[in-house]
Amino acid sequence: MPAFDLQAFLEQFKYDPANPLLFNNGFFVFFFALFMGLYYYFRNNYPVRRYIFCFFSLYFFYKASGFFVIFVIISAIVDFVLSNAIYRQQDARKKKLLLLASIIFNLGLLFYFKYTNFFIATWNGMTGAHYNPLNILLPVGISFYTFENLSYTVDVYRGHFEPAKKFSDYLLFLSFFPKLVMGPIVRAHDFVPQINQPVAITDQDFTKGFYLILSGLFKKLIISDYITLNFVNYIFDDPSRYTGLENLFAVYGYAVVIYCDFSGYSDVAIGIAKWLGFTIPPNFTSPYQSKNITEFWRRWHISLSSWLRDYLYIPLGGNRSGSFATWLFSGLFFVGILFAGVNLLHFSWLASIALSAGILLLFILPSIINKEKAGIATNMNLLTTMLLGGFWHGASWNFIIWGAMHGVSLAVHKIWMMLTGKRLAKIGDSKLYNILAALLTFHFVCFCWIFFKCASFTDADNMIHQILHDFSFSVWGAFYGNYKIVLWMIGIAFILHLIPDDAADKVIARFHKVPLIAYMTIFFLFVLLYGFFKSAEPVMPIYLQF
Amino acid sequence: MNSNRRVLLFVVYSVVIYLMVSILGTLFHVQWMPFKRINLISDIVTKDSTDVSDTLRDNTNGIVIEKKAHEDFNLYLRPRYITSFNTDSTEPSLRNFMQKLYDLKTGKKRKIRIAYFGDSMIEGDLLTQTLRKLLQEAFGGSGVGFVPITSQVSKFRQSVTADYSGGWADENFKTSNGGRLYLSGHLFRGNGDWVMMSDHTVTDSLAVIEKSIICGPASGPVNISVNNATFTLHADHGLNRIPLVIDGSRQIRMSVAAPQLPVYGISFETASGIFVDNFSFRGITGIEYAKIDSAFMTQIAENNPYDLIVFQYGVNLLFRPNDRNFNWYARALMPIVKKFRNCFPASDFLLVSTADRAFRYGGEYKSAVGIDSLIKIQATLAYETGSCFYNQFASMGGTNSIVDWAQRNPSLANKDYVHPNHRGAEVLGDYLFRSMMSEFEKYKRTLK
Repeated sequence: MPAFDLQAFLEQFKYDPANPLLFNNGFFVFFFALFMGLYYYFRNNYPVRRYIFCFFSLYFFYKASGFFVIFVIISAIVDFVLSNAIYRQQDARKKKLLLLASIIFNLGLLFYFKYTNFFIATWNGMTGAHYNPLNILLPVGISFYTFENLSYTVDVYRGHFEPAKKFSDYLLFLSFFPKLVMGPIVRAHDFVPQINQPVAITDQDFTKGFYLILSGLFKKLIISDYITLNFVNYIFDDPSRYTGLENLFAVYGYAVVIYCDFSGYSDVAIGIAKWLGFTIPPNFTSPYQSKNITEFWRRWHISLSSWLRDYLYIPLGGNRSGSFATWLFSGLFFVGILFAGVNLLHFSWLASIALSAGILLLFILPSIINKEKAGIATNMNLLTTMLLGGFWHGASWNFIIWGAMHGVSLAVHKIWMMLTGKRLAKIGDSKLYNILAALLTFHFVCFCWIFFKCASFTDADNMIHQILHDFSFSVWGAFYGNYKIVLWMIGIAFILHLIPDDAADKVIARFHKVPLIAYMTIFFLFVLLYGFFKSAEPVMPIYLQF
Repeated sequence: MNSNRRVLLFVVYSVVIYLMVSILGTLFHVQWMPFKRINLISDIVTKDSTDVSDTLRDNTNGIVIEKKAHEDFNLYLRPRYITSFNTDSTEPSLRNFMQKLYDLKTGKKRKIRIAYFGDSMIEGDLLTQTLRKLLQEAFGGSGVGFVPITSQVSKFRQSVTADYSGGWADENFKTSNGGRLYLSGHLFRGNGDWVMMSDHTVTDSLAVIEKSIICGPASGPVNISVNNATFTLHADHGLNRIPLVIDGSRQIRMSVAAPQLPVYGISFETASGIFVDNFSFRGITGIEYAKIDSAFMTQIAENNPYDLIVFQYGVNLLFRPNDRNFNWYARALMPIVKKFRNCFPASDFLLVSTADRAFRYGGEYKSAVGIDSLIKIQATLAYETGSCFYNQFASMGGTNSIVDWAQRNPSLANKDYVHPNHRGAEVLGDYLFRSMMSEFEKYKRTLK
């Protein structure tokens, strides 16, 4: 007879490194219900509501990452104090110094936790030194809240925004639990004014929130988790063991996984926020429908790309001029291409110089044709932004390569537009052209994902080698037989992705007062589906031979 | 219209119903897996005793282990230890092999050859490249040993680079029932085909490397091309080991336009020292060797003798998460081990158990439930055939060690929870080497 286990019950309230809190834990169900009850009860008492919200957010963070919650609190205190000081300071120089202090503090924290070991390894590799890597764990969400802190102090410095007067306002902005782990990166000027507002959720908000939460969970917990565990992980972990066909589908599979994982989390965050009366702008708008790479970046992780635009690209000089950092990073990039050509691609020095010069030409050609100097700086600023943006995703050369590939492709797209813009104007509207353009864009993005996901350049190289040289459709039968469910899931995910973005909103707009029981039925069906896939017999990798 | 209450009601109703169903399901022992996975209270109730079916654990009862004097079967459980099951712990295992090692170490010029058989676990020279390197450092010798003409992993193998034309006909375990397949499980025929190999394991710049072809018989002389010069082969034996070039180069290019000649591979060895041949074939369990003729095996033993044969299989038996009974494997593999022992009388024999492999049970990766039974069966095979045994599973850390290896940073195993990666394989190679060394030390003590 099962009995209540008090010890286990009490353990539930402690952080468990083997089982950190996420939206799919049983604990979250109770956490959320209790929070909603209190939030509703105190909805008209703003201070109490705020404190409850802060407490639950910080507790969520503790359950998700243990005592790293301290860093959220410390950085909230530091940035709250600094932003107010910046706001009050009249002297322009002192104002700048305060901003600098905030930037150093935030980036220092991020660099220490995220990049120390990368730089130790790089230094060891370059000099032959043998410094041991430090035992540093990356605090959950630090990449996200560091950027939120920075945007906040910079906005205050620029005078775009009056700093939060109450510390709890700022703490809540930073720790708001739905977006803490994986974003979206929320801007203070969007969010803080919503904190002390009456809660007014419309029927449409309820439906939209329900839709976002459920579809987000579906994308993340069912599609992404299943494909990752039963297929993508096997192949990406050691591409050389598998045939080209398996590798190719692993890349398609990963394209689904990264989108569903990332956008699914964002959707849940935005949906929960909606139910609490907060509006957070969408973070992904069907990015694989993009017809070119520029459009892709307007649809993919929007909160990051707009952050990079406002706080990196524009300070670098934007589309007007270059700055020291622009030329430094661009210079490093071209030197990097030179060495990568020789060491990674096994080119001769001459071929490598030609490659580097060729890419340089891509960046300066439009300006030469148009006879405007600012264009060069614009392109270099864009390149720098993409390089650093790539590096933000993780401390490895593969992320820098990934960023560089996207940076170069943005420049290529620019030239393409310039050369063909007028001539292709007519064809550009045709359906066939658009489909081809979307397919090309998607495949380029997929190609870049290889570098994003593979643990090392060698793995990425092996994967590409297998796809190009070890490819045969003769293994399709056995491949399909083994991975049937996975492949169907990938297919369904792509079909769902093709649905226009506003379709859901249009449908929701037509709903009027659907009884609660209908929503609950859908919810429980989802829970069952989740249970079904969680308990499904795992798909094991097989060896294909042709 | 304000829906604040609606949000709350939805959450409260849903959670209350969910909780009620969870409690009822727990009380009434609902065993339906999808439900158990989403039970809200499963973490805070004492475990249901009907869950555990430990009685099914040991499925090796059908196998009777004969008690022998001075022998202890349970020694098979010891990690990082090569056991001959002898209770006298001062007596070295693999005695003949150790004596040969001692000869080599004390200056006698001779070759010691190890044939290391395995599945995908040793593919790409994993584990064996570490073992070879350490043994050659300790006892001398240079060269990677046997390399098959073509292989699925040749592009990724770090110890050798091989490039070859696409026309080689490959007969192997999967396509042929022929008894003339080599120990690698392959037989190649070239019809105007070439292969180029370079050995990357040689660190001694003065080493003189014999590059030999390993091939089957051909009636009459056969002309092949070696480094673009004609070379006349006299392949008179059932199995031939014919040196093609003996010089300081680590590279060879060979073309064969004689489909009647069964070609197996090329071997890189110095005149004296220790060599480890990697015979990997993915997806097999060892019983495939039933296909090879014993007469042919005897010819291999005569013309390309081995001093130690290592057999490391098992992971491909664990392809279903809930299999626990492997008695059939003992029955199937027993004659094969005996065949090897008969055909290679001068060779010692070491059975290496499967390494750990995990499956997802209820969402969590854990060691295969049948792994203990399988290892016991493998140990029984060693015990009954008078072979030595090495417990790879215990050596890598025992139950759930593959989970730990895969989740470490940097990882030691792949996320298929089956294959140690090159870092992990290095660890395993190192453990096996050290276990050999401790037997060697024992052997040296017996001489005093």
